[in-house]
Formats: sequence, structure tokens, C-alpha cells
Amino acid sequence: MEKKTKQTGIQSEAHASDIGEKYGWKEMLHQMWKQNPLAILSAVLIIAIIAAAVFAPVIAPYKEAQQDLTARLQGPGMKHLLGTDELGRDVLTRILFGARVSLVVGIIPSVISLIIGLILGMIAGYFGGAVDYLLMRLVDIMLAFPSLLLSMVIMYTLGRYANSVICIFAALSITGWASVARVVRSQTLSLKESVYVEAARSIGVGKFRIMFRHIFPNCIPSLIVLFTLNVPSCILSESTLSFLGIGVQPPAASWGLMVNQSKQFLFGMPWLALAPSITIMIVVLAFNFLGDGLRDILDPYMQTR
Amino acid sequence: MKRVLGRIAGMIPVLLGVTLLIFILLRVVPGDPVSILLGEHYSQETIDRLTRVMDLDKPLIQQFFSYVGNAVRGNLGESYTMKRPVTTLILQAFPSTVKLALMAAAIAWVIGILAGIIAAVRQNKLLDHLFMGMSLAGVSVPIFMTSLFLQYVLSFKLKLFPLTSDGRLISLILPAIALGWNSAGSIARMTRSGLIDVMQQDYIDTAKAKGLTKASVILKHALKNSMLPVVTMMAIQLSSMMSGAVITESIFSIPGIGRLATSAIQNRDMPLLQGTVLFTTIIVIIGNLAADLLYSVLDPRIRRAV
Amino acid sequence: MRLKSVITTILAAALVLGSAVPAAADGEKILKLGWNKDIQTMDVHKTTDNYAIPLSIFDRLLEVQLNDDGSTELVNSIANEYSISDDGLVYSFTLRDDVKFSDGTPLTSADVEATFTRMFTLEDSVQTDFTTCIKGAQDILDGKTDQLEGIQVKDDLNFDIVLETPFAGFLSVLATPTCCIMSKANLEDAGSDFGLVPEKTIGSGAYMVKEWVTNDSMTLVRNPYYWGEPGSADEVHIKVYPEAASMNMAFQTGDIDILDCDFIDAAILESTYKTAYADQIVSVNRLGTYFFMMNTKVEPMQDLKVRKAIQMAIDRQSILDSIFGGAGVLVDGLYPAGSIGFTDENQGWLKYDPEGAKALLAEAGYADGFDLELAADSSASENRMNILQIAQQNLQDVGINAHIESYDESSWLAKRKSGEMSCFTSPWTLDYNDPSNLIDTFFGSPEATKGRSINYEDTDVMARVAAASSIVDEDERLAEYAALEKKIVEEDAAVLPLFSLQHQYVISDRVEHFTPHWAGYSDFNVYGVTMK
Repeated sequence: MEKKTKQTGIQSEAHASDIGEKYGWKEMLHQMWKQNPLAILSAVLIIAIIAAAVFAPVIAPYKEAQQDLTARLQGPGMKHLLGTDELGRDVLTRILFGARVSLVVGIIPSVISLIIGLILGMIAGYFGGAVDYLLMRLVDIMLAFPSLLLSMVIMYTLGRYANSVICIFAALSITGWASVARVVRSQTLSLKESVYVEAARSIGVGKFRIMFRHIFPNCIPSLIVLFTLNVPSCILSESTLSFLGIGVQPPAASWGLMVNQSKQFLFGMPWLALAPSITIMIVVLAFNFLGDGLRDILDPYMQTR
Repeated sequence: MKRVLGRIAGMIPVLLGVTLLIFILLRVVPGDPVSILLGEHYSQETIDRLTRVMDLDKPLIQQFFSYVGNAVRGNLGESYTMKRPVTTLILQAFPSTVKLALMAAAIAWVIGILAGIIAAVRQNKLLDHLFMGMSLAGVSVPIFMTSLFLQYVLSFKLKLFPLTSDGRLISLILPAIALGWNSAGSIARMTRSGLIDVMQQDYIDTAKAKGLTKASVILKHALKNSMLPVVTMMAIQLSSMMSGAVITESIFSIPGIGRLATSAIQNRDMPLLQGTVLFTTIIVIIGNLAADLLYSVLDPRIRRAV
Repeated sequence: MRLKSVITTILAAALVLGSAVPAAADGEKILKLGWNKDIQTMDVHKTTDNYAIPLSIFDRLLEVQLNDDGSTELVNSIANEYSISDDGLVYSFTLRDDVKFSDGTPLTSADVEATFTRMFTLEDSVQTDFTTCIKGAQDILDGKTDQLEGIQVKDDLNFDIVLETPFAGFLSVLATPTCCIMSKANLEDAGSDFGLVPEKTIGSGAYMVKEWVTNDSMTLVRNPYYWGEPGSADEVHIKVYPEAASMNMAFQTGDIDILDCDFIDAAILESTYKTAYADQIVSVNRLGTYFFMMNTKVEPMQDLKVRKAIQMAIDRQSILDSIFGGAGVLVDGLYPAGSIGFTDENQGWLKYDPEGAKALLAEAGYADGFDLELAADSSASENRMNILQIAQQNLQDVGINAHIESYDESSWLAKRKSGEMSCFTSPWTLDYNDPSNLIDTFFGSPEATKGRSINYEDTDVMARVAAASSIVDEDERLAEYAALEKKIVEEDAAVLPLFSLQHQYVISDRVEHFTPHWAGYSDFNVYGVTMK
């Protein structure tokens, strides 16, 4: 591993430093559309879903969690486009409101792990020596855990203190930062030796200033890619935890929880489980396509994941 | 040899760190396994007695040192609910998980490498896009969906496979596919990019010039050289497979390690959860070490460098 | 082509290994059961989790018999006869002389003594709460002695059990799984293996465990020395299905003979089984009451009018119909429908009346409603969460701003025990068929009522509850229980009883007759199943 990451670092050095000048945003979009139209379509879809989540109270056909016990478990139809669940709640409405939880659960932990990973990765790479050794052993420790098991332990521990959604933020941030730190560290290592960082150092610019003025901006492309690929994996982890019954707890609704509550009806009343499942799949796929496209454009050498 | 010893020595702090972290996560928080054990029936007296018997009243530091001391000797404590040594439970469950993981790995390799080769050969053609799209889809579908879908269609409707695990290998095929699916996607992508890289190199042209067919060039030369990253990939996949096993074992009723973890969570059986997570993590660490060593054995450049 | 050969080898290997089907001998009657999780131990002194195996492999002195009309009666099991002294303190038993354990040794009074003594001397025993009424039990728990004074062996077949105070429910307690009779010699030999290793767990029941693969499966075979009629099934195969969807499919593919509908959603029962398996559904009354709890310590439920309003605000029938497919009856008192102590007099007074509830709330000064937390246990069944969700809507309809808060199981239990939990729902199924079981648990003492987050305040009533179980005259005792029920539920509105449910099972066409547990527990004695 050691050797491989170093290699990657060296290769990305030249690239990362001139990424800003090479492409403007417009040009980049154009290039992406040419190379990978799917990525652009995915981006549009993601924006649409985020908008749908934000405006859920306006566009949803029913009120959140409104029950109609006389219309339970109805199939898709004119009155309820995606049918109703076992308490007579409109499935489409629940998916729209569930998007709020699911997207937030995807995005917030990704942001937190990005920040932690960035800071620790830069510190490890820049300072080197004992700091680097200790931080990288910590990264090793975190990466050694099978992520689902570690999240389960964290849910188990925090479950009694905090709201389930907050617990999931914690669980997914704790399991997610280490791989970010590793990538950032290897980039920092190579950037540290670059001419302009040397130059900055020689005129007496402070360490933290160098890190944030010179190294951080060059990490941004990788961070964007990492973020885009981290979001779907968080959404998947949440749905898995919820499937096991230790994720989001009702009455809060996430897509994963909806699958968990309806998996029994998969046979007979399949729309109940399929609607949220397919939603998860589409959103995750969109994020993955986008991340893939971004990686091709921004950071063709990055080989994590 | 030096390298091997160095790597093994490097594992020790990681192992200690892992143990400490699990311990902190699980023990610093005062759980209440006693009330769960008693369910609806309890009196304060019974609760106090059990708390004492289960050593939950000892200071935390003392609990940690005795735990590490025992763990080194292979004793991971006694399960609160299953009433027997955690080590026994883990060793009983481990073979099931190993069988499942090996089969999943085999499936992932076969599907992944085949798809990767085909995609590389048909680079930028329809088949390539299709396979690469599918491999992305493979990592986008939650594993429980794949499992439920396979179980419903292939076992329940078509009756091709047993519904749940019954100890026979055939009953492990569906869970192994569900578990290997995600890895197959990543392996396919790696194989493809490795092959494309290698095929652009000079010696392949030389081989072609010597009159070898395209197929044999790919198999004999290119594939061999592009397999290195895939080998390491597989070890990294071990960790995600252990995660995935938690789900597949539950859906297909396989009595493996993942099931121990879920039942430990359900019953708030802290020693069992602690033991399972520790054990699984150690397996992952050893797997990574093995892959690392294998990598250096396979790759002559590294071997010479050391 | 090497890859091709690799694939063919793998497939061939899979097929070869897969074809080793463990075939059953012709005509063998195998009963196949599915559980959602494995049992923890067969040692009943160490678990309260699942009693199916202890019920099947051990005997009790007495047994509860479930009659076809749904009534229950106590019948002798390995006790041949018994008598009770006039002061209700001394129970004299005579054992059957033909009872043998599955290793061929006879069951004697010494085994009974060893069993009861172990219940209290075992350090991690969880079964002390019903039986501490036995004389000397408390002394063992206090560490003063290791001899149980209350069991007096006269000879191999005769012994007395002496109680500290009279306790009318004691005979019923003897029929609970708590009082499975174990073998003294076996307990001594097996040590900590007892309950975990099949061959070291010897009982006198109709079946014995042959094999147990943790978290996976269990095989039971007949006990060759069983004293009664041999069981109908030659073997019982139990398999664990953690996912309800898998269990559901397993029944339909013939891998399960008795599907416990507790594990599947009522809607599936309605849509699939009520049509395709209509004449294969077995129902038993669950001797239990589902409650909606109201903590009188929590603002503003200390106000009787508010509690009465909540009692009227919740549409119990619609909960019963929507969540449980209507399989049950509403009850207005504490005691489950059909149990001893249940009286028609205390029924029928409680009506769903949202307008009346609003009026009462206005009278109490809460016309604008108030905030109310409904506490959910996240590990409990989905049904319980759904009850709370409907209740939430009902309460909101009368202006009470109810919101649901999820707790993980141990926090939920801890919070309930601390007496701080505001509103929640919880079922109570009788451990033994006597009103004391329920009322003592909930209202027997200030600690009991605090520990269930009811915080009932009337200490006089609680003293009467505690005294009632020692009333020797049966009619007088039941009248007192009925009066207490009326006072607590109707006058003081301390709880809101919802309903008593039915427990439903779907049986396969291989099963001739199936007797569920008398109280409707999921754990039943496999001896009660007859195969075709």
C-alpha cells in the first residue's frame, strides 16, 4: 500500500497544481458532457431530488405522516401514485419526506469526514515524523474495522444518548474520515516538495498558512470526487443499518427505514418495498456516475476505491 | 524476511489500538444488560445480584486490563445471553462465514475478471459501456436488496436453490452471489483499466508481431501483468465482505459471525459484540498483511527493492 | 482455456457437494418449526427469553390444560396427587412412580428438592421472583444458608412445600416453566454445561435434544423413557429464520409446519393466509392485556380528568382492526379476557369518545392541549410502534400535541424503571393464570408502580392489592380483585387497557392437531403437536 499511494501522489502533483488554470467551469462541463453525458444527467437528477426534498411540504400530495386507516396497503393508483403503507400513509409523500433524512444522512457525515480527514491528512503529511506515524496508525486502525460492524457498535453505544439520526451522523463520520485522510496525506507529501511550497517556505510563510493557502486548494479536486463518492456510500450504509433495525428510528422516516418496514410485503405488495429501494438505487447510482465523471475530469490518477 | 517481520511488528500497535477503541466504545458507556436479561420480571435485589455476578460493578480500568490479559490467552469473556465463552461461539460460527466469504470471493473473481477482460477488449464499444455501467450498478444496489431479490426469484419462485442455508454448499451460492456482487464490480473495473494500460505497452505489440492470437496475448501476457492491483484489491474487499456478511447471513439464515454480531446487538450482549468485532477486525488486518506480502512476492520490482 | 475450466470445476464441485441431501427415512414424521432467533440456553434458571425447549424436554409437577372451549384448568403432571393445608401454607405432593429421565434414572423427591434449591443458590439465577414465597428462599438469597427450608422430603415419592405466607396462585406457579424439574445427578455432573450441551441436559419430558447448532438449528427426538403416551412426531427440526420474509417463504415452500403469525405482519396473514390457507389457521386467546400507560407523575396527567380524556380519546377498535386484523377483543379492565379474575361487570364502560375527551380536557383547563411524549422501544415489534403512531394521531385529533420518541431497549427499560417515562404501550401476558400475576406486578407496591412508570398514588389500594393474594377463600379473593380493578382502571384511570389479542398460527397440511401454549405464548410444548 505504502508504495502505491506514494506513486499516486507523485503523479497527481503536476496535475493537481495546474488544474485551476487548465479548465474553466464552463469548459469543464462541456468536456464532461462530451466524455460522460451520464454524469451531467446524474447531476441534474441529484439537483432535482434535492429540490424535491427541500420543497417536500409544497409538492407532496399529502401531509407528512398523515394516516388514513380506511385506506391501508392500497396499490398504486390515481389517489395514491405509489400506493399506501400499513397505516394508510401515502408512499410517495413518505419518499419525498424521507429524502430529507436520507440526503442529510448522506451529505452531513460526508462533509464531517471530509473536514476531519483533510485536517488530519494535511497535518500528517506536512509535519511527518512522529505525528505522521501516530496519525497513520490511527488511520490504519479505523480502516481495519469492517465499517458496518463499527457503525453498529457506535449506534449501540450512542443509541441511548442521542436521536438516531445524530447517531448515524456520528457513526458514518467516524468510519469515513480515515480514507480521506490517507488520500490528502499522500497529496500533501508530494505538494510539500513542490517548487512553490519550497518558495513560500523560504520566504518564511507559516506552516498553517502554507497548508491552507497552498496545499488545501490543490486538494480540492480530489476532495470533490471523494465527497461525491462518499455521499452514496453513506446513503447505502444508512439504509443497511435501518434494514437491520438499528438505523433511523420511527417516526422519523428514511428510505432505508421504509424498506425495513415493508420488506415483509415484498411478496404480494411489492410497491411498498420497491419504491424506496429503487429510489435508493437511483440516487446512489446518480452520485456514483457523477463521482466517476468528476474523477475522470478532475483527477484521472486517483485510484482510491 | 525482514520486511515480513517488520510488517508483523507494525500490526501490534494497530491491534492494541483496535482493542482499546472497541473497549472504550462499549464499556465507557454504562449499559444495562441486566434489565434486558431479566425482561419483564425483575426486582432490585435480582438486578443487584446479577450486576455483581457479571462483574459490572468493577472499576473500568480493572475491567480493561483483565480483558486484554484474557484476550491474549484467547479468552474473550462469557456471553451474557448465550451463557458460554465468546471464543467458543466465534469458533463455531467462523467456518460458516469463511465458506461464504470464499465462495463470494470466487464468484467475484470469476465474474469480475471475465467482465473486465471483455470490457477491455471491446474498449469504448457497447459491451464495455454496458459492463462498466453494470459494475457501477453493482456497487449502487444495497446488498439486502440483491439478497431478497435473488432469494425470491431463484429460490422461492423458480425453486433452483434452497431458500435458506441448510449446511450444504449449494445453499451458499445465492448468498455468495449477493455478497460477491459488489466486489465483482470493482474487480471488473480494475481488471479493465489494468488490461488497457498493459495492452498499450510495447511488449504486447511484440507478442502480437510474433503471431500470437489476440486471445492468447491477453491471457498469457496482459492479464498476468494487470492482476497485481486486483490481488491487493481483493484483500481490501475482505473488510467490506465482512460487513456484507452481516446482512446476507441474516437473510439466508447462515449461522456465521455476522449473525453473532446482530444477535449481540439485539440482546445487548456486550462481551459477544466486543469479541465478534475484535475477531473480525483481526481477520481483516491479517488478510491485508497477507495481501501485502503476496504483492511483494508477486511483484519482482518490490522484491528486488527490499 | 483456463478460466473456463476454473468455472466448470467450481460449478461441478458445488453440484456434487450440493447433492448430498440429508434424506429422511420413509414414513418418518418430522415436525419442522421456525424461530426468529435461537434460544439462549435450555437451562430455565438462567433465561427468561424462550421457554419452548424447557417446556418440551422437562416436566412440571402440574400442567395447565387448554380446553377446546378456550378455558384452562390445572391438571396433574408428574405429581400424582396433592393436598393443601387449611392455612394455605403446606402443599403435600405425591409423585408418579413411573417418571424417568431420558437417561433412564427415576425422578424422585430429591430431584424436586435439588431443582428448587438451585433456583435460589445459583448465582446468576433469573427465576427467583415468583417463588420467593417458599419458606427459606429469602434466606438463601441473603446468603444465610444454602439449604431450602421450605422443601421437606419425606421419601422418594412424597414431599411437602411450605410457604412463608399463603399464596393462592402458587399451584399455577408450579405449572410455569420456572418450575421445570431437573435431575439432581445430572445437575451435579454437568456443571456449567447444563443447558448448553444436549447430552448433558437431561429431562423427563416427552422429547430430548439430540443436536443443537448455535444460531442455526436444533433437532429433538423422543425420550425413550417418557412416562406418558409417546409424542406423535418422530423428530422435531427447528431452524432459525432471522428475517420474517424468509420465514414466510419457508412456510410456503414446506420448510416450516407451524408458522407463528407473531413473526409476520397481520396484513400478510389477511392477504395471503386467510385466503389460501383459510382452514389451516389456529387461534388461541392470548391471556394478556395490551395497555397504554399514563404516568401520573408527568404533567398534566396527575389530573384525573386528563387521564380520563386520554382513555376516551384513543380509538382502540381501529387500532385492533388496523394492526392486528381485528383478532382480539377490547378489554376495559386489567385482567385479560378469559383469564381467572376477568369479570363482565367491569367491561363495557369505556367508549371511544373524542368529543367527550375534548370536553373533559377543556374542563381540566387544557382546551388548547399540551405536549405529550409517547416513548417507543426501538427494539420492540413494529406493532407496538404502529399502536403509538395511531394513538399519536388520535391524541392530536383531540388537541393533545403528542410526539413519539424512540429509545433503544436498555434506555427504554431504564427510563421506565426510573418512573420517569410519560406514555408508552406495553403488553402483559400472564405467567400463570391468576389475577395476582398482573395486578401485583403493576400495583402491588409503590416500587412496583414506580418501576412501571405508572406512579399510582393510592397507597391504601396498593396495600389491599398486596394483601389480596393471601385471602384463602376463593370467592372472597376474586371479589376483592374485581373491586380493585374497578377502582384502579375505572375510577382512578391509572391505565388505559386496550385489548386482549388472539395468537394465530398457520399450520401445514402435515399437522393433524396443534395445541398452542395455554396463555398464547409463542413458546409451546412440541408434545402438543400431532402429525398426520
